[in-house]
Parts: sequence; structure tokens; C-alpha cells
Amino acid sequence: MRFIVTSTALLKNLQQISGVISANTVLSVLEDFLFELKGNTLTLTATDLETMMRVQMDVNDAQGNGRICIPSKILVDYLKNLPEQPITFSINEQDLSIEMSSDVGKYRIGGEKADDFPKEPAPGDTSNFTMSSIALLESINKTLFAVSTDTLRPAMTGVYFELATDSITFVSTDAHRLVQFKRTDVVCPAQDGFVVPKKPLQQLRATLPADETQLQLSYNSSHLFVSTNKLSLSCRLIDARFPDYKAVIPQDNPYKLTINRNDFVSALRRVSIFANKTTNQVVLDINGNSVNLSAQDIDFSYEGKEKLSCQYTGEDMKIAFNAKLMVELVNNIDGNEVNLELSTPTRAGIFRPIDKVENEDVLMLLMPLMVGV
Amino acid sequence: MSQQKYTRKIIHIDMDAFYASVEQRDNPEYVGKPIVVGGSPEGRGGVVATASYEARKFGIRSAMPSKRALQLCPDVIFIRPRFAAYKEASNKIREIFGRYTDIIEPLSLDEAYLDVTKDKQGIGSALEIAKQIKNAIRNELHLTASAGVSVNKFVAKIASDMNKPDGLTFIGPSAIEHFMEGLPVEKFFGVGKVTAEKMKSMGLHTGADLKKLSLDEITEHFGKPGKFYYQIVRGIDEREVQAHRETKSVGAEDTFAYDLTSRDEMNAELDKIASIVAERLQKHGLKGRTITLKIKYSDFKVITRNKSFTQLSNDLELIRDTAKQLLNATEPEGKATRLLGISLSNFEEVVSKKVRGRSDQLELF
Repeated sequence: MRFIVTSTALLKNLQQISGVISANTVLSVLEDFLFELKGNTLTLTATDLETMMRVQMDVNDAQGNGRICIPSKILVDYLKNLPEQPITFSINEQDLSIEMSSDVGKYRIGGEKADDFPKEPAPGDTSNFTMSSIALLESINKTLFAVSTDTLRPAMTGVYFELATDSITFVSTDAHRLVQFKRTDVVCPAQDGFVVPKKPLQQLRATLPADETQLQLSYNSSHLFVSTNKLSLSCRLIDARFPDYKAVIPQDNPYKLTINRNDFVSALRRVSIFANKTTNQVVLDINGNSVNLSAQDIDFSYEGKEKLSCQYTGEDMKIAFNAKLMVELVNNIDGNEVNLELSTPTRAGIFRPIDKVENEDVLMLLMPLMVGV
Repeated sequence: MSQQKYTRKIIHIDMDAFYASVEQRDNPEYVGKPIVVGGSPEGRGGVVATASYEARKFGIRSAMPSKRALQLCPDVIFIRPRFAAYKEASNKIREIFGRYTDIIEPLSLDEAYLDVTKDKQGIGSALEIAKQIKNAIRNELHLTASAGVSVNKFVAKIASDMNKPDGLTFIGPSAIEHFMEGLPVEKFFGVGKVTAEKMKSMGLHTGADLKKLSLDEITEHFGKPGKFYYQIVRGIDEREVQAHRETKSVGAEDTFAYDLTSRDEMNAELDKIASIVAERLQKHGLKGRTITLKIKYSDFKVITRNKSFTQLSNDLELIRDTAKQLLNATEPEGKATRLLGISLSNFEEVVSKKVRGRSDQLELF
């Protein structure tokens, strides 16, 4: 088979899927891109056996249909070092040789048999729904940071997609914090739920367009498939039950603190520099309409304190949080101001944005640190 | 430059052809004969662990395939290693070191650094201490050692290698810079083949050539180790002799008599290896957070896979099951496997961190 393609266009497409390829694989074919030519359409595929991504592009002067695996690293390195220009690919499927000729030279790589490339999971018995690309992107952005890395609890190492006929809710937690992000602009086929691992979501975040492009989502008991007309991703779902997250969200936190988000984050950052590096503990001493932030590391005689004004309705209280987790959480809330709902120093605090975005409902929860007093 | 920058006295002791010497001591019929301790040349073939000096005359070296050793010297005698015997000899050697100092950093069974800046017996001369240690090893254990004496680890180690076997080399403060200038670059710690070639292509052949480079130039070309070269060529090596090196990992591995292809066989081997690892951990009272599986395929490609837990463990079942899980996740079909190993790492730090934290993160689930 033979075709001509612009170097930068090919590189751009390969880079959309190359993130899937894992750095140390056992099967050499997993280090390859699968190239499939049919008519003038070139389909490129990459996989790590868990996640598979595929992108389609048009090529010129195509002759013959065919398939071959091309080592990814050398190809990408070559394309990166080539100024924009047409490249002619001449591929011999018999001896697996790939010749790339450009204005400046001729290059040769040995490929591998296309039949050795893993097959895509068959999307049998699936249920389908659609949502816009920007909506899924936003949902991933809001939840992915709180995903757990603890492999002992596999269900928490992914984002839970909870489907309902009038909404979809994305939930992530690492047992210290939890994010619940609900969208009411999506119609799902049934009440259902599945857990999607981190890596494919990172891939989607890196490649999905931030616009209204409609995505086709389909799933069955083992896989999720996401596609646009050019790009598609399939991934294995995490085979574990997501914890009963609703049971741990307090329904009746009576005290409410409203504070300027930027001021709060900046103060937390400064004060936490003086905190114990292991716990990152910052104490919030809420007193009338002000909150005192304090941190210390006794080993080094470090101490930091700041006072911020806020609006507070409730009893004065002292509550401690891990500042690092809190900064990350608050940074993921939109708006100039943020609400923190509290009850006691040992129960979860709930963060919500003040300004509600249409069709979105976000709740972020953070467990406090037990203060040793 | 003043000599005051040198404030330490370091001895590097390296036993001469240790495993082979122990064998010759314990089996008089091997004395004066070319012997090799290591894998036998039959079958898939092992490698040379240690060759006696008689065998070295034929060009036999450590890490050489035993088959090649046999070609070089058809009369060579192959001996299976008796690690228990070497371990016992090594303990006795360490006991001798302990008469002079407590700052001992063993590098392996047959090699150690000693800091004798302050020696227990008040001898005062590092050279004299090295002589006494060598004599004690000869008289009590009937083995020979080579010693290097200098002001830092790097020079001491190079010195011990200069007059082997049964050597004693002293490179004192006044001689160091001159000595380093004459040293070929490949002798520098951390300089492998590639770096050595790069250095030579830049016209850097000896310490003197390296010394001409500024710190900026040397780090620009050789990265982080550049700074180490820069200092070492000026006789500066601040690395301490670490008496109590932390145990970083505990593990066990096994190379099989023939390559394994079936999952069942591999799982059976993992059972065995896991129980050895668990036993070792329990013996040392260690618990780890990270379990690592090592696989060497028949093509010698080595891969490792690991899994970390939030809690410390030395539990046999967990180690065994995790190792099997990791194995299962590697390869869809049975690939010929030559070696399997399991190790645990990530020990104390976590404990001490937990203890140090004066508060506790509350959990949701």
C-alpha cells in the first residue's frame, strides 16, 4: 500500500492517541501504531490492552488497502523533526518494510504484522447515549483530581458514572475527599452505573475538543466506548463496586461560611508552608465573621497565622484540614466566592460554588483532620 | 592548597578471589589449581562468580559464561557456590574489623569500607591498622585481603585494587591530587563505557584533563555526576562510611533449570519464593508497602511490576497473591520465563511518618 500525507497532520493525529501507549510494555506490538488504509481513509490505532484509541484522517494518492503496525517512538521522533511537507509512505506488507520519503530524504522502518495487534473489544449488547464534548470534558476536569491511587480499593481508582433517565452524575473519591458533579442536560437510557479508570479519562481530557461536538457514548458490563466522527476510545471498566457514596454526604450541615475564594486559597498556601509536611494540617478557627488560619511544625519551630474576614452563620468552631487537599478542592470550584458548610470538627465539610451554572450541580466534600487537643 | 581539607582516614578492604579462596582453604586438593566458583558450563550454562588466581592466568574473569571459561582452560574445576560458608567467613572478617572501629560499611560479603579516623585501640595510624587487619585475616582465617588506605572512600577503593592480591596501598594527603591527575577516566566511580568514550572523544583521558574543566563545563557535559567528578578529581569525596545502611528492600529470586512457560508452574514457583520472602521479612521484623515482581524472560529481557499498599505488611498470603496478580497482568500468553523474583520495599519511613504526625486524617469509608 502507498499514500501521501502531510507530516504535521499525521503527527497531530498520532499525538492524539499516542498517550495510550504505555512506557514499558511486554509485547512489542503494544509499542506500535496500527495503520489501516481503506480508500483514502487512514485509521490509526494505539492500545495498552486496557484502553484503545483510534483516529481517522484523509490521505492523498492512496493505492491499495492494507494494514501494518509501525513502531511509535521512532515514527513520532522522525515526524517531530521534520518541517511541514508531504511524506510518501510505501508499505510492503509481505516483508513488513515501511519506507517514508520526503523532500529531504528517505527513511526505512521495519514494522510488525497487523494481525498481531490486539483486537478492539466488540461493542455487543451496549446501551447508548449522547452528550456534548465540552460537557464531558468539564465533568472529567471537575472529578479526576480526587480519584484515589490506592490499588487496594480499585473501585475508587476511577470516576463513577451514575446514570439516570434525566441526568448523569460523576463521582470520585479517595476516602478523604469526594466530588459529586451532576449534569441535568444528559438523557441516559436507564438507571445504571460504572467506574471508568483514570487513564482513559486523562486521554479524553487531552484530546476531546472543547466545543459542542456531540459524543456517542455506549457501554456494556465490561467496556465504555466514546466516539466522535473522527476519534474513538474504548476502555475496560473497573470491575468493582463503587462505595455507597451518598451515605457519607451529610444532609444537614447547619453552619455556613462564605469566603472569597482567591483570598482563601492564597492564605492557605502561605500558611501551609509553615505546616507539618506530613499532615499539611491547617486549623481554621472560625470566630464571628472572621476565620483565623494557623499551622505549625513543632520539630522546626515553624508557625504561620493569618486572619481573613468571612460571612458565617453558626457556632464558633475550630476545625483542621489538610491544606493541600483543601487548596486542590477549592481551586476546582468556580466563582469568586465559595460556600463551606460545617457541623462538627470531626464531620465532613461541604464546599459548593455560590453561583450555580445552568444544568450543573457540584458538591465537594473534605474530611477534617482530628486535632490532637 | 592546604592539606586540612582531609580530616578522615578510610580503609577499603577487598578479599582476594574470596569464594575461590574459601574453597581452596577448605579443600586442599584445589590449592594451586585453576578453579571457578559459579554455575556449571553444562546445559544452559551458568556464569563465573569468582575465579581463583590460577584460573585468572587463563583469562577467566567474573561474570564470564562458564562455557567460555572452559574453552579458555579445559582443566578448570567448577565448584558450586556454598554461600553459607562464605557468609560465615564474612562474619568472621567483620568481627576482625570490629576490633578497630564500629564505623564499618559492608558493600558485599567480601568488601567493606572502614572509617578509622578514631580507632578503638588508639593506634593512630591507618596504615598500621590495615596491616594488622590483613595479618589477622591471614592468621585466623587463612585468607588474604587487599587494602587501600586514604582520606576518602573513592581513593581508598582505587588503592585497594592497585596491588592485588595481598596488597596494601597507601595514598596520603600529599599524594592524592597527583594520583588523581594520573588516573585514567574510566577508573572514575560511575564512569561506564559510554561516559568514558564520550570523555575520550572530548580529549579527556586522565584526571588531569578533567581537572581543566570548570564546574559549569563539566556539569553541562555530564549532568549531575559532573559535580562528583569535579570534586573527586580534586581529591574531595565527602561520602560518609555508612555504618548502618538502611535495608531498602528484602527479596528472593530463583533462576530455573529450564525456562517455564505454563502459568501453573510459575505460580508454584511464586508460592515458594513468596514464602522465602515472608520468612526473611519476619526474621528481620520488617514490613513493606510495595511488592515488586521481577521477571526475566528467556531472551534476558527483564521487567518489573510493582504494587503499593497504604498499609505495611509482611503477610505471606498478600505477598503471594499480589505477586500472582502482577504476573497475570504481564503477559497474555505464556512467554518462556527464566527467572522470577519477589521483593518488598518501602519500609520504615512510612511508620515514622505516621508516628510523627500529631493528627489523623479522618476517612469517609
